[in-house]
Amino acid sequence: MRIDTILFKEVVILPELFLGFCLVFLILHCCFLSVKKKYLLIHNSIVYLSILVLFFLCILVLNDSLKVLQLSYFNDTIIHDYISFSSKLTVGSLALFSLLIMHSYIKSQKINQFEYILLILFAVLGLFLLCSSNDLLTAYLAIELQSLSFYVLAAFKKNSTYSVDAGIKYFILGAFSSSLFLFGSSLLYGVAGTINFEEFKDLLIDVNSIETSFLNTSLIKIGLIFILISLLFKLALAPFHTWAPDVYEGSPSASTFFFAVVPKLAIFILLLRIYYFSFYDFFESWRYLVVISILLSVIVGSFGGLEQRKLKSLLVYSSISHMGYALIAFSAGTFESIQMLFCYLIVYSFSGLCVWSIFLLTPLKTNYLQKQNKDLTDLVLLSKSNYVLAIFFTTVLFSIAGFPPMIGFLVKISVFLTAIESSMYFVAVLSILCSVIGTFYYIRLIKILYFEKVLVGKLYYPITTQSSILISFLFFLFIFLFINPTSLYLFAHKFSLLFLFSSI
Amino acid sequence: MLYIKNILSYVFVLPLIGALILSFVPAQNKSLLKAVALNCSCLTFILSLSLWVFFNKSIGTFQFVEKFFWIPILNINFPMGVDGISLFFILLTTLLIPICLLASWDSIHFDLKKYLLSFLIMEFFLIGVFCVLDLFLFYIFFESVLIPMFLIIGIWGSRERKIRASYFFFLYTLLGSVLMLLSILYIYYQAGTTDYEVLLTFSFSPLEQKILWFAFFASFATKVPMVPVHLWLPEAHVEAPTAGSVILAGVLLKLGTYGFIRFSFPLFPEACFYFTPFVYALSIVGIIYTSFTAIRQSDFKRIIAYTSVAHMNLVMIGLFSFNVIGLEGAILQSLSHGFVASALFLIIGVVYDRHHTRMVKYYGGLVHSMPLYVLIFLFFTMANIGLPGTSSFVGEFLILTGSFKANTTVTFLGATGMIIGGCYSLWLFNRVAYGNLKIQYIKSYLDINKREFLIFFPLILGTLIMGIYPKIFLDSMHFSINMLVEFMYF
Repeated sequence: MRIDTILFKEVVILPELFLGFCLVFLILHCCFLSVKKKYLLIHNSIVYLSILVLFFLCILVLNDSLKVLQLSYFNDTIIHDYISFSSKLTVGSLALFSLLIMHSYIKSQKINQFEYILLILFAVLGLFLLCSSNDLLTAYLAIELQSLSFYVLAAFKKNSTYSVDAGIKYFILGAFSSSLFLFGSSLLYGVAGTINFEEFKDLLIDVNSIETSFLNTSLIKIGLIFILISLLFKLALAPFHTWAPDVYEGSPSASTFFFAVVPKLAIFILLLRIYYFSFYDFFESWRYLVVISILLSVIVGSFGGLEQRKLKSLLVYSSISHMGYALIAFSAGTFESIQMLFCYLIVYSFSGLCVWSIFLLTPLKTNYLQKQNKDLTDLVLLSKSNYVLAIFFTTVLFSIAGFPPMIGFLVKISVFLTAIESSMYFVAVLSILCSVIGTFYYIRLIKILYFEKVLVGKLYYPITTQSSILISFLFFLFIFLFINPTSLYLFAHKFSLLFLFSSI
Repeated sequence: MLYIKNILSYVFVLPLIGALILSFVPAQNKSLLKAVALNCSCLTFILSLSLWVFFNKSIGTFQFVEKFFWIPILNINFPMGVDGISLFFILLTTLLIPICLLASWDSIHFDLKKYLLSFLIMEFFLIGVFCVLDLFLFYIFFESVLIPMFLIIGIWGSRERKIRASYFFFLYTLLGSVLMLLSILYIYYQAGTTDYEVLLTFSFSPLEQKILWFAFFASFATKVPMVPVHLWLPEAHVEAPTAGSVILAGVLLKLGTYGFIRFSFPLFPEACFYFTPFVYALSIVGIIYTSFTAIRQSDFKRIIAYTSVAHMNLVMIGLFSFNVIGLEGAILQSLSHGFVASALFLIIGVVYDRHHTRMVKYYGGLVHSMPLYVLIFLFFTMANIGLPGTSSFVGEFLILTGSFKANTTVTFLGATGMIIGGCYSLWLFNRVAYGNLKIQYIKSYLDINKREFLIFFPLILGTLIMGIYPKIFLDSMHFSINMLVEFMYF
């Protein structure tokens, strides 16, 4: 390739540069406008502008035709390869969709500060950098960028005690877990003398050989476990999940939506880069921890959701158990399992978009508009007032529950298949039984939607034309993915190309 | 121009096309909605009859075979075909759906569009279950049937207990079938494919067979239903609307027996022989226990529901006799049960539509006021007992003959079920049809109308034809069953 002849080879970082410049521009725009009297209208224009920014960002990512397998720049701190390309595309489009969905919620909740949207864009920038980070320190900085934005997003409702409480909790525990990450990184640096993923890989290509026997492998293992714990914290997996219900419930719904759906994929990419790309030879030493975490999260997720009365806390437990299933594919340790992991994560994210779109796009017709957390029983009149929306919700719920004719079933099966292929029979049996229990709370929602005869209930505002277009797009995407799942598997295959040539 | 070899795929997609058309009809236009759904399902039935016409009776392999690609990456495709076993189950499904739609012609007062949609989609799934030749897709269709049935019980059920009933239905069957799912994954991992015809060439070790058989059993036995997991059935039957009960008794219970014949027998023959005493024991307990339970019920539908359990357990005995006579009898009895039990549920539906109660004690002396109704009721009561000349007699006779070869004691105990069956059926008929009119409860009576007669007519016809001249049914399934039995002993 003629990469060397290109003078400014950092042109591949164009999406991130574009986002950064746009952020600067948007901040200036808002600062200048906010002193004027049009202040209250800013949030409207800023939402449209940032939707436009994210749209062009996705196009830029797509436009960047990848001619080589991988390419690292900025002194090997940032890497550009298939996995970062695909994950940036997914994260970008997820962020775009979530902004579209959030829009009406932000309007109805009167979140007039422009910072809200800017913080989301900052988080997207952090996620983009996280997807393409190639050493521990860059990864740490990227995680911090997105986490700091999330802390503020969680505490954004200044006059709500719950929101501030959620923000503080998220901040303290998030900072704690970040410090664990740093500690693990310092241990790894102390032993290996490098923080670069590729150098780690080259150094530890064969741990038991004589050349590398001088390395203190037990310290490496401890460091890896610290990093693992910190990342499991970020993913809200049991036993590190206890912050999640409080934080998810307290923070404004749009923020909850954003940090429940979008960042999971990027964090999984960091996990894969560290544990599969660099430290695959230590597979046995961290795998049992992951398996324990899987079992706990699947149990906590399916049993914890049974007694929830609020939609948001139900979704928290649902996300805990889903991350558990995704982690099954992560712990299987084969090439196919990575593919299935990404299939699962993509479908999880899109079904998350669908569920939260129902949550956010249907404002309740009540006097207290400030009520941000829907009770499950608030959905009682949905099927009477808008039954197309109710059918959409039912389809999505069956898909999330992993029920057969939906795409959620196919990806869940793929995950269990990887578990069986790597002889994790106990994990497969236990999690499949827990998934039956988890099904119960999804069908309880369907019961509330359809079966109950109530005359008194809360009505909704009719949804706007734009939102209905958005919802029907998501719905047809769901049906298309079931009819033609090959496209999903092929896209996920692109993710796993990186690991095809590595040590696996 | 219709190509004969593509009939099966036409039959398969026709309900879905009907559902698509239906979704564009405005929900207020109720007569058009009903017309579209009924015409579509009738067309499906006529087309599926042509399956039988063009069916080659002299070979036992799959016919009308077609193969579509679905997920080539994972080597999971969509082959479909019909043999002598699945042909009649498809016919039964396509016959019962128009009957169900006619049965609830006037009794659905709200959400009619969703109701018709769920029936058409259920027909699509059920035809899919019976014609697909891939284990994984079989599971998908097998489970998908739960969703429309869950909604039918939950939304259009009669009382407040319907929610509990739909939960029972959903979770029992789901819990049974996830074990089957795991074993399907194991089979896929071992064999690299889930294509049925390829799997037939694959043999599992005895231990694997036993574990896999048991996982499949957990799923199919819940559907049949066998004794410890039969609890969902009376609940679901009692709470479902009439048409829901008809399709539940008529087709959904057959999914279990069909699964045994299609998958458990040829894939795990050794485990089948190994577990035969276990199945016999459960079936005998099922027959005798549920027959006695049926005697002491006060709810009309619950009695018929328990007789369903007893009859389906008799079918299980026929299946596990592993000879041609027993298997043919089992399939014939399944079909006959599809006619008779459906008709009995429709008979309950007739009086329930008029008086809105299913308690037996409110009815009495109906013969004075509803003679035509009682005549039909008598006919199906006799068919339920197994009177010679009706389809049940042929089925039960073949089953008992087949199992006599395998195990005499089981035959003896199974035959006692028929005697108790005579008790509860006749007693129920006596209480409802004869005696004095209970004027204090029900003041006005109305005999069955033309629509209801037309519902019963095909069922009576089918029962009689199957009872008097069963050869036309047995001829078509003979070679397929012969092949299956030879395959098992091979």
